[in-house]
Amino acid sequence: MYLITNAIKNLVRNKGRNILLAAVTLAIIIGAVVTLTIHNAASRVIDEIRLDIGSRVTIEQDIMGMFRSGMGVEELAENTIHIPIHDWVRFADSAYLSNTIFNAEVFNLESESLLPVQATPPGTNILQDVPFRILGSSELDETLSDIIVHGRMFEGINEVVIDDELAHINNIELGDTIELNALLSTWGELAGRELADKPFELTVVGIYSADLYERPLFRFSDIFTSFETIASAGWESNLGLNMTAEYFLRNPDYLELFENEVRAKGLPDTYIVSINQPAYDRVAGPMLSMKSAVMTFSIVILILGSLVLALISFLVIRERKYEVGVLRAMGMERGKVAFGILTEAVVITTLCLVVGLGLGNAVAQPIANGLLGNRVAAAEARSEELQQDRVAAVVVFGGQMQSEHSIGYRPESEITVAISANVIIQIIIITLALAALSGIIGVVIITQYEPLKILRERS
Amino acid sequence: MNALTLQNISYEYEGTNRVIFKDVSLRFGAGKVTTIVGKSGAGKSTLLSLLSGLDVATSGRISFGGKNLSEINRNRYRAQKVGIIFQSLNLLTNATAIDNIILSMNISGITGIDKKTRAFELLARVGISREKAHRKILKLSGGEQQRISIARALAHDPMLIIADEPTGSLDKDTEANVLEIFKSLAHDDGKCVIIVTHSENVTAIADEVWGLEDGVLCLLPVQTDTGGGRDVCNPPRAFESWKE
Repeated sequence: MYLITNAIKNLVRNKGRNILLAAVTLAIIIGAVVTLTIHNAASRVIDEIRLDIGSRVTIEQDIMGMFRSGMGVEELAENTIHIPIHDWVRFADSAYLSNTIFNAEVFNLESESLLPVQATPPGTNILQDVPFRILGSSELDETLSDIIVHGRMFEGINEVVIDDELAHINNIELGDTIELNALLSTWGELAGRELADKPFELTVVGIYSADLYERPLFRFSDIFTSFETIASAGWESNLGLNMTAEYFLRNPDYLELFENEVRAKGLPDTYIVSINQPAYDRVAGPMLSMKSAVMTFSIVILILGSLVLALISFLVIRERKYEVGVLRAMGMERGKVAFGILTEAVVITTLCLVVGLGLGNAVAQPIANGLLGNRVAAAEARSEELQQDRVAAVVVFGGQMQSEHSIGYRPESEITVAISANVIIQIIIITLALAALSGIIGVVIITQYEPLKILRERS
Repeated sequence: MNALTLQNISYEYEGTNRVIFKDVSLRFGAGKVTTIVGKSGAGKSTLLSLLSGLDVATSGRISFGGKNLSEINRNRYRAQKVGIIFQSLNLLTNATAIDNIILSMNISGITGIDKKTRAFELLARVGISREKAHRKILKLSGGEQQRISIARALAHDPMLIIADEPTGSLDKDTEANVLEIFKSLAHDDGKCVIIVTHSENVTAIADEVWGLEDGVLCLLPVQTDTGGGRDVCNPPRAFESWKE
């Protein structure tokens, strides 16, 4: 016990050198707290982005790749392979997926019993028929359910929700059946195939009211239903049908496994299975850059700081050689002298740990905001340049650019930096290492001297 | 009763052939004040280092209470059995007087006493006030530091007190007081007090005076309280020649 008491008294007795040691230790700890806190927070955000974007897989035709391989527009059309709707559904039957969202659109529809809504397209004064579309999604669309003014959302097969204007001009009431015909024979003629038109008998269970200008996605003649309604109609080909599918991986690392699986199920080579990498890069780019910078800074701080601390510890213990000689001459065991010196180092570093955790935590958020803000601004500036390049590329490739996929995504510009248990554990380990470094140097030096030798040198 | 025994002790400095002692045999009795005199560089301090377990003889045997010093834990020996008053004092200069003394008690492992009270008593015994006891060593005079060094050596109530020029920085009154303490420790408490000195005042209180020259120890005649001469080595050397 007296060793600890004496060690604490020693800290007060030798303020100058201990303040120097504490200042260096504190600087290292604050640096480590700030960098590790920011690093961990950035990792967390990146993981979230990765889970959000990195787990969302799309399967699409590699148009850019086909262009790069020298195909012209005509060859591209000839080589385009349409994946039947049942294959999209079959791909979703995978252990690597947590969820799949299918969206299908049936267009080129006509109806003998329904009048289409007429509207004036923006920029013109001419009143035009708004063509019918049947839109089916496997995901509940809350935007739609929020604007249903009569009835309810569709649930069963062939149940639909329609626009109130369409209902009004056709005197449609809830429970009425509407009939539409998908003109597949027209598409078949164009493709040189014999296809029969596909009739739809749909029951209206809800009526929505949408402001065209506030909600441009909704068109007056759009008829919303479930994906199952469209899929159950039976489709030999994708003619007359637009189909998209988003597959959500259980873990972003399953991408390759999932791709192998769908290839084995017959996915053509002209299709690519990918996450939205451009979007991921755009959203996570500044965060990744900041994470990398703070990690580098952290390593530099720890290496340089440790070297400085080792040097100071070495000089301090040389200065304390006489004290060690006196204690040893009084009969104090070598191990007890070492314990005392280690205790001093531990007390200094523990105090620095407490102060460093508080100060580091206080300054980490503003530093993170500053670092991230600069990187986001730089990324936005780069994005504007890319946008201009894209306009040129759209002209050349008809808009089928991979980089287009990042449109609508913005770099993540917010980070909440707070010290976590994980960071505290890491800092404690670093602190113990620093205490060991500064203490062990002393211990190694003092064990080399005999008390008489030290005292003789002094005399 | 013999406290400390030297048998055929030889010592030469490591790395040199300079012989300090050769086959020295000597007994230090408990209850006696023994002084060792000799010219500077004769090896008096080295002898004290051997006796206090800070150094090891090249050959021979030093026994304390019948046990060979080279076979026992010499740290414990120094901490519990010996009180050393160094010529250069060797106090912890950044610590207070009282802390120096309490630390000595702590190192010895002494228990069952109020260490602070004992420290104040010891300091008072050598003439250091309570106010000065709380001062750092560096803020005390050389004489005061020497007295604190003496108090520290007595802190753990050692059997053996080894002092190297313990009165060099003291005024006459304080020196007399300190010498009384040494005498009392030997004669009243039965301690073995060994003092290296050049001072006649110190040898005057000695029960035995040994001279050290050319690696040989000679028992010299002394004037004790009771008077009378003692055996001298052959050929006898005059004490006067060792005075400085």
